[in-house]
Amino acid sequence: MTQNFRVKNGGLINRDKKLSFTFNGKSYFGFEGDTLASALLANGVHLVGRSFKYHRPRGFFGAGVDEPYAIVQLYRNGETEPNIKATEQELFDGLEAKSVNCWPSVNFDIGAVNNFLKIFLPAGFYYKTFMWPKSFWYRIYEPLIRKAAGLGVASTKHDKERYEHKYEYCDLLIAGSGPSGLASAYAAAKNGAKVILAEDKPRFGGTLLTSDVNISNLSGKDWSEAIISELKEMPNVLVKNRSQIFGYYDHNMLVMSEKVSDHLPKTKKYHPNKRLWYIRAKEVLISSGSIERPIVFGNNDTPGVMLSSAAKEYLKVYGVLVGKKPLVFTNNDSGYETAIEFKKNGVDPVVLDTRKNPNSEIIDEAIDLGIDIKFSYVVVAAQGYKKVKSADIASISDDKKKLGKLESFECDCICVSGFWTPTIHLASQSGNKTIFKEEIDAFVPGKSKQNETTLGAANGIFSLEETLKTSFEAGNELSKKITKTDKKISVPNVVEKKSSQHDKFWCVPLPKGKNYKRFLDFQNDVAVSDIEIALREGYRSIEHVKRYTTLGMATDQGKTSNLNGLQLVSEIENKVVPSVGHTTFRPPYTPVSIGAIVGREVGKHSKPTRKSPMHLWHEKNNAVFVDAGVWLRPRYYRIGNETLFEASKREAKNVRSNVGVCDVTTLGKIDVKGPDAVEFLNRVYTNAWLKLPVGKARYGVMLREDGIVMDDGTTTRISENHYHMTTTTAQAANVLSHLEYYLQLVWPELNVNVVSTTEQWAGAAIAGPKSRDLLQKLFPKIDVSNEGIPFMGFTEEDLFGVKARIFRISFSGELAYEVNVESDNGNFMWEKIIEKGQEFNIQPYGTEALSTLRIEMGHVAGSELDGRTIPYDNGLDGLLSKKKDFIGKRSLQREAFVSENRQRLVGVIPIDKKTSIPEGSHLVKDAKAPLPNPKLGHISASCWSVEYDNPFSLAILKDGKNMIGEKLFAMSPLKNKIIPVEIVSSHYVDPKGERVRS
Amino acid sequence: MLYINCPHCGMRSQNEFSYGGDASVKRPLLNKEVSDQEWDDFVYNRKSLRGKHLELWHHISGCRQWIKVERDTSTHEIFRTFKADEEVV
Amino acid sequence: MQKYSVFNLIKNAFSNHEKWDLAWKDPSPKKEYDVVIIGGGGHGLATAYYLAKEHNITNVAIIEKGWIGGGNVGRNTTIIRSNYMHDDNGLFSEFGMDLWRRMSQDLNYNVMFSPRGIINLAHSDAQMNVYARRGNSMRLNGIDAVLLNREQVKEIIPMADFSENVRFPIYGGLMQPSAGTARHDAVAWGYARQADSMGVDIIQNCEVIGFDVSAGKINGVRTSRGDIKAKKIGLCVAGSTNILAEKLNMTLPIETHLLQACVSEPIKPVLDNVVTFGAGHFYISQSDKGEMVMGGDLDGYNSYAQRGNLPTLQHVLTEGIAMMPFLSKLKMLRTWGGIMDMSMDGSPIIDKTHIEGLYLNCGWCYGGFKATPASGWTFAHTIAQDRVHELNAGYSLNRFNTGFLLDEKGLGTKTWIS
Repeated sequence: MTQNFRVKNGGLINRDKKLSFTFNGKSYFGFEGDTLASALLANGVHLVGRSFKYHRPRGFFGAGVDEPYAIVQLYRNGETEPNIKATEQELFDGLEAKSVNCWPSVNFDIGAVNNFLKIFLPAGFYYKTFMWPKSFWYRIYEPLIRKAAGLGVASTKHDKERYEHKYEYCDLLIAGSGPSGLASAYAAAKNGAKVILAEDKPRFGGTLLTSDVNISNLSGKDWSEAIISELKEMPNVLVKNRSQIFGYYDHNMLVMSEKVSDHLPKTKKYHPNKRLWYIRAKEVLISSGSIERPIVFGNNDTPGVMLSSAAKEYLKVYGVLVGKKPLVFTNNDSGYETAIEFKKNGVDPVVLDTRKNPNSEIIDEAIDLGIDIKFSYVVVAAQGYKKVKSADIASISDDKKKLGKLESFECDCICVSGFWTPTIHLASQSGNKTIFKEEIDAFVPGKSKQNETTLGAANGIFSLEETLKTSFEAGNELSKKITKTDKKISVPNVVEKKSSQHDKFWCVPLPKGKNYKRFLDFQNDVAVSDIEIALREGYRSIEHVKRYTTLGMATDQGKTSNLNGLQLVSEIENKVVPSVGHTTFRPPYTPVSIGAIVGREVGKHSKPTRKSPMHLWHEKNNAVFVDAGVWLRPRYYRIGNETLFEASKREAKNVRSNVGVCDVTTLGKIDVKGPDAVEFLNRVYTNAWLKLPVGKARYGVMLREDGIVMDDGTTTRISENHYHMTTTTAQAANVLSHLEYYLQLVWPELNVNVVSTTEQWAGAAIAGPKSRDLLQKLFPKIDVSNEGIPFMGFTEEDLFGVKARIFRISFSGELAYEVNVESDNGNFMWEKIIEKGQEFNIQPYGTEALSTLRIEMGHVAGSELDGRTIPYDNGLDGLLSKKKDFIGKRSLQREAFVSENRQRLVGVIPIDKKTSIPEGSHLVKDAKAPLPNPKLGHISASCWSVEYDNPFSLAILKDGKNMIGEKLFAMSPLKNKIIPVEIVSSHYVDPKGERVRS
Repeated sequence: MLYINCPHCGMRSQNEFSYGGDASVKRPLLNKEVSDQEWDDFVYNRKSLRGKHLELWHHISGCRQWIKVERDTSTHEIFRTFKADEEVV
Repeated sequence: MQKYSVFNLIKNAFSNHEKWDLAWKDPSPKKEYDVVIIGGGGHGLATAYYLAKEHNITNVAIIEKGWIGGGNVGRNTTIIRSNYMHDDNGLFSEFGMDLWRRMSQDLNYNVMFSPRGIINLAHSDAQMNVYARRGNSMRLNGIDAVLLNREQVKEIIPMADFSENVRFPIYGGLMQPSAGTARHDAVAWGYARQADSMGVDIIQNCEVIGFDVSAGKINGVRTSRGDIKAKKIGLCVAGSTNILAEKLNMTLPIETHLLQACVSEPIKPVLDNVVTFGAGHFYISQSDKGEMVMGGDLDGYNSYAQRGNLPTLQHVLTEGIAMMPFLSKLKMLRTWGGIMDMSMDGSPIIDKTHIEGLYLNCGWCYGGFKATPASGWTFAHTIAQDRVHELNAGYSLNRFNTGFLLDEKGLGTKTWIS
């Protein structure tokens, strides 16, 4: 198809480069520099999609970010993306797009039946119906509504694109490269300030690209190009196009989304698709301009009705006529600028001006050009279904209440201008309380809340001369404060046409007997009548109106509808607009890619992965890993086709009968040093520490102040004032912060330092009856007897040339040692242990075997220390010192904690000695009791006892102390299991603890 | 994102810190008789009012010092920051 | 009161929808009421409704600083569930589930309760065990729960990450099939409309300035619209509880925090259930409008600002993509923040106080919305009978003194860690 609506000359597109694209399967051509919208319009395509609720035909309304309805499904490089605004999507060769929210096609859409039912579907209709019969909402109505709603279709494939983050600091961040942005950036840059200038469109210049002005004897466009090219050369300036600052957060942190690749057929190698910028600015200049607002009239959603500024932009930037018989409907001078552009391109527009006898240079120019103007005239309704065919127009009385006789006027587009709404989103997001400015019928920013200054049209200043003057000044003043340089720029000479006062008119009354839908929110199909209903029913606050009608909640976030909605509410409620107030502006200003927000932390990189120095060895030896927080730990080492159960049983058995080795590097390790270290430990742990000699370790439990067990582990006295504390893997970071809190804030008088040494040491536990023999092989020169290294003993020795620490501590309940070496030597140590252990049948064991070993010994771990239990519950009350105070001690006096039948750790054995009890089962007295069945306790950990070859579990049981020998039921309704069990001591193996001391 | 002036390191973004709650809460002295009310006030009860709030932050990805920050809970504005041992007047 | 029905909708269509009544009136406060409820959020409105409906107490005023439904009932992610481990939480919430199931009919207002099921994903066997403990507890309390394995999860939510390139693979999940979502605003409006029709005065734009307390008894409340006498006053202002508590010289085990949530642009239906991520804190569902509704962690410091910062949402959405990579291609449309009462064990307080006639309903953390009906029902009972019901007996204020805590997560008093 040929580009019938492209004018011969003009526009900023590159006519030398033709691009082909398809829309709904049909092929078209456009030019480099087009948007999808301008290219479609050049081809005379106005029907883009269907609306949300009534499925009415939708075309183009704007030319940029404010677009409420030209939304398409985009296909690019084998991927698809929903909800792309055609007005923002730059054309590339091979672009494919489809309409959304219509079936089977945009031309013939079944959903449009809603349009005929619309009188039954007013605002909030769904709250009043679909209630009978009861189950039908979820089964029938809701699925139908869900299917009808939604816009595009999301691909559920993984996103192959890459997104980057960048952090920047600058003196001045300037949002928007229109006249105020350019002027302030230029002035600040000349003062040497570090400036970032961001423009959301591909082209810099904002309104200068389309307005008929003259600055320093240059056209607006040429002046902006000159400024931009100078700025680009300056080392202290960063100018970014395709970059939308969408959020103003606390402490002058702003976030910008840069579209790096969306305008290309595919993302270049090594390039991201988008880049998210976190920018901390000393000063923020908001030069985001303004958005034209429509005048509301009947059927104003018909394709072909659009903002007059958009029509002008299509013509001036893209060389596209949005129609050949245009009707311009305006309440201010802006409409004339559009009309004049049409005229200059050989098309005769007709202007309807709501004003009676306005007077200005621009109107004179229009008259001189011979443009047909009707004053005191309005468009009452657009006619045509999929495209404007004509307009019902009428004169309007001076009080704007009465319409004259309706006349039909043939036209193919209606360009509407209801004056300008400053884009105050960023200022408002900063916390700025906006104020209503009567002269422009709109809100502008009030007093600065953070370091933000709003300039130009965004601040309600529509004269170019004043905008440039105040913007040069602001750029100079704000940068001067920072750089202490004052190179004042003289304000250039400006030639612009003076405007006359706009008409405070925003909604055309309905003619008698006509019930046209007059839309406010085009995407969500919110009409004047919907607002009227909401107010009539008492939904009167603007928040209620918004929520009841969904006004402003579509993907354009009400950029063209909110203010008209407010006007309507204020009129009906008989209140002034500022007392109606507006809904809160929150980031993002425009929808932002979730991929860009997240950046590189996806897939395997969504969280860090921590690995021990022995990780490669584990991998090579068929370890199956398990996540322990962010650590990866070997869960078991698979031999042949072993299952987890078989392998862990084998490994545990080998520990009980020979010797095993387990990587314990992940345990938290903290150095506690200083003359008061022991006093500190004495306060942190529940048990006594003052008498611990050098070279000995002790097991300790620490509490939170609320009396709940926080963590446990052993701490070793390395030398007089040096202690080596270990924590559980999970709590390592919390424990360090906890210690620092007490040292820095509560007991600063204690002379102690703590530092994490988790990463300094690699650790291996060697456990089993043959561990002593192995230790001797590893350290041939030392005395490994009970006298040489007693239980809980510690010594530092040489391990074949590397420094090693030996601790005689045991988690498995067997005779065991833990050897630590500096991390770099971890693998060396490990391989030595394996090598020397061969003769003792050493096997590595993973966390699963470790669990088995600790469970049958009755040692508690994370599943018992679950943040809800006190020492008594875990059988650790023997470690509570009565003689001294410690963190959390006071809480242990509480009623619930001293209760007679307090829960306590017990062992549980199935009576048949065969059925494993699933972890998470609950213990009950009567398995057949009616629900709710009182629960006496829960199974916290289960294993297959390798010692006795039958299942064994730990449980935390109410009145556990007195329950030994009782018969109960372990119930897991989730797994359909009811298992008769007997309660036994939690110390199932070696209850006297002889092995560890052997 | 908050911008916090660590008294040891200077201006740093919030993501280097972790929060530590109301800094006006004082732990009762050790080895001293403490009433239920005093203890509950220390462990659980918080004023948590709108406006100026003196609170603890821990510079965990920095100097690892606990610091005190005076911040407005309704605007997030930070007025002053202090070292752990500085008295706040 | 006009009945809402499809017949009335059609009838009214022919009179141009001009004959609909006010959903609720907007009266000025009287000098005295039997009961004053402070807070026109979901819980306050529900309390007034149940006072009238269950206890025949209709001389009631709800006073609201702003507009009804403007607090957390209007800014949550609409999840309704009773998948708790502790009996007190489970039985209370399950009682609420019954009220949810008939709410649209009870209120004659379609609150769109949609029992689409919630799935908590698990990413390790250890987590499966923790979920089993909770799920078994639910089942023994008569609450529906199903433990799903990896394949079963994949069948229900195939768009979750079952690929090799995943940091925390999905092992399975705990599902409560009867859990779901509802249209949050409709809940507030539906309760308001019914309460109003039974004689409750809904007084908006009425700020509490102080209380009239003497000899340990409450006598009334001072407001920006004048003094109002009442022998019984219920405080239902989660998010602002500490501010009113100060006016009563009370210090509570509550901190006020900020929670953000966001929605994507609307897309065609892709997700039927509510799903939560197990290796972090992220939850998601798809609204009837097609928006993906997402939330997660608190911003993590005391705040009344109702505005948060992007790094928190970045963190939340990172977990979102880790769970469902396709979210990457969507766009975040709206974000918002709510302020909430974070209680020191994560569970709420519905109780009498040391001041006679003053009742407390607070500490809802981020679980207030689902509790709306049960909270209103039990609070109404507590106020009407001047004694707690067995359903809210566990939600006592003095549990922080006695140690009978209800800590579902085992995180203790550091409320900012979520």
